[in-house]
Amino acid sequence: MKMLNIVLALVLGGLVSLSAHAVEQRPWHKEVIGKDCKVCHDNGIKQFPSDQACLQCHDVDDLAKKTARSEEDKWQNPHNNLHYGKDLPCQECHGEHKSKQPLCSNCHTFKFDKYKK
Amino acid sequence: MRKYDLLGRRNFIKGLGAATGVAIAAPAMALSEKADGVKWDKEVEVLIVGSGFAGLAAGIEAIRKGAKDVHIFEKMSYFGGNSAINGGLFAAPGTPMQKKEGIDDSVEKMVADQIASGRGIADESLLRHVASHAVEALQMTLDAGAEFHPYLQQLGGHSVARTYQTSVSCGAGITQPLLKECRRLGVKTHNRAKFEGFILGGKGNVVGVKMRENYHFAEDQPGKVVNIRALRGVLMATGGFAQNIDFRMAQDPTLTSEVGCTNAPGATGEGMLEMFRLGAVPVHLAHIQSGPWASPDEGGFGYVSNYSIFNFPHSIAINCMTGKRFMDEIADRKTRADAELACRDAKGEPLPPILITSFKDSKQHPNTAKVLKYNVGWKFDTLEALAKHFGIPIEPLKAQIEEYNSYVKTGVDKQFNKNMTKAKDKYIEAPFTVVRLWPKVHYCQGGVQVNTKAQVKDSFTGQPIPGLYAAGEVCGGIHGVSRLGSCSIPECMVMGMTAARSMMQA
Ligand SMILES: Cc1cc2nc3c(=O)[nH]c(=O)nc-3n(C[C@H](O)[C@H](O)[C@H](O)COP(=O)(O)OP(=O)(O)OC[C@H]3O[C@@H](n4cnc5c(N)ncnc54)[C@H](O)[C@@H]3O)c2cc1C
Repeated sequence: MKMLNIVLALVLGGLVSLSAHAVEQRPWHKEVIGKDCKVCHDNGIKQFPSDQACLQCHDVDDLAKKTARSEEDKWQNPHNNLHYGKDLPCQECHGEHKSKQPLCSNCHTFKFDKYKK
Repeated sequence: MRKYDLLGRRNFIKGLGAATGVAIAAPAMALSEKADGVKWDKEVEVLIVGSGFAGLAAGIEAIRKGAKDVHIFEKMSYFGGNSAINGGLFAAPGTPMQKKEGIDDSVEKMVADQIASGRGIADESLLRHVASHAVEALQMTLDAGAEFHPYLQQLGGHSVARTYQTSVSCGAGITQPLLKECRRLGVKTHNRAKFEGFILGGKGNVVGVKMRENYHFAEDQPGKVVNIRALRGVLMATGGFAQNIDFRMAQDPTLTSEVGCTNAPGATGEGMLEMFRLGAVPVHLAHIQSGPWASPDEGGFGYVSNYSIFNFPHSIAINCMTGKRFMDEIADRKTRADAELACRDAKGEPLPPILITSFKDSKQHPNTAKVLKYNVGWKFDTLEALAKHFGIPIEPLKAQIEEYNSYVKTGVDKQFNKNMTKAKDKYIEAPFTVVRLWPKVHYCQGGVQVNTKAQVKDSFTGQPIPGLYAAGEVCGGIHGVSRLGSCSIPECMVMGMTAARSMMQA
């Protein structure tokens, strides 16, 4: 939560950059990120954000708690799963500017409510 | 299931339109070059490419043998390759659990079993080397914290029970502890780092690699190529090529995109191909194993594979067009995969056959609940409902089940001569569970030739290519025509450890 505030402060503090491309953006991110692409694009605008970028605001342990499943299915927690633990980079399943499939869907038909399919 | 463009060709073309910079991302540009005039961006002591069993075991062993600066490079964003999604079955002869269970086993027995399944063309010296060190590899997993079921299994083709399985029934029960152990020991792990070519010294020896950093698999992003010098050599532990549809079809044209794949997306084989360009000996590339136990209703290995491996002995496989059986349900993998691929509708389109099991028998396996829960299998109370669901002609189906049940009674399968021992007293009766079957490409027996020091041999000289080592599925010829289940983990780990020892002695 602390980090979130820092980002908010950065955005409100006038770091909002010029890039006004009409790109798809998650509504819940608009408030914190605004139009400052660099908040996430720490590798440069034309590159994907680094694997650490999302972790400025999000905490893996919190996420894992939020998506915890019952004991029987405990390893189907995308943020702490059997195959990769808490190590899976966010961008593997999440895209800010385009929709993605969860990595699990390569082999499993688990339902994740926030994914359309 | 995702469809990857495995060699990035489509990305390449698309990329040209979008941004010319992307052109350099095309693998076609990846080539080995001479070190003269190369500007080194980095220098490391031991350089490992690939983070599966082979790469991770090598990382740990290199440190144990005194290396100070070991690096593992992995092209995907995550570590573990096929190893992290594997079934966690690990064969070794002469283990503590065998002693406890009073099972008499030996290196010779394990090698003999493997030579039989390899149909005589397996590499005996390599099999013997692996079997002789398999217990050491098992010990490495235990030392790192891996946990195993408290019982042994006897898999198809093995003459005794010699297979351990991780308590999570998955290779991640080994890769996760090994990765942790690597990091604890100070091995540096780099994700999104794609090997693209070797850098060669004056005598054709490997002195370093070209590595694309900040690589995003299946995306249009160029990243940046750096030249990394490797002081003790380069270990290629890049796995198989089952996801590379063009290349596997070049070896076996029946393995089209219609045939799915159980492998992790990164199993595209470019590391192996680059070694061939350098002069490595290609061995047994056409021996590619498909798993006849897979389901078209989920991607990869999923849940059905282990469900059906367990259930085949007491189930019937039915062609939905005819309502009849079409194969011995426990024939070898290739026989069954071919029979399944022949199941087609009137237009010749794939019509996956089904596996019918009595619920009372199927539910003995832990995956049955998952298979039903995740809609990759179905439960039916009547044969009519089952037939209707799959559009199977009911009368022939009824007759077939009656006929099969008579074989259960007599113990003799007059249709396909299936060994009915394990089907004893297991009649096909309602309620039924059903999954659909369709083969998936599973394992590549072929790859580069190595010796028992994990050195890669040169096709012209027959001598090791100096500075180059390979371990794991990227190597070929070890298993021959067909690999026995649970024999890849020991091979990958032992050869990874061997490569590390060789590098540290060189
Ligand atoms: C679903 C499944 C279940 C299996 N179950 C069993 C089992 O129970 N028991 C058993 O013995 N065997 C099993 N096998 C076979 C076994 O898992 C594999 O043969 C083994 O994992 C291969 O290990 P490896 O270290 O050689 O390669 P992998 O584990 O595949 O690792 C290779 C790594 O190299 C990376 N890589 C590839 N190219 C490059 C490049 N250019 N640059 C950088 N990195 C690169 C890949 O992304 C990958 O992470 C199974 C296989 C599958 C697919």
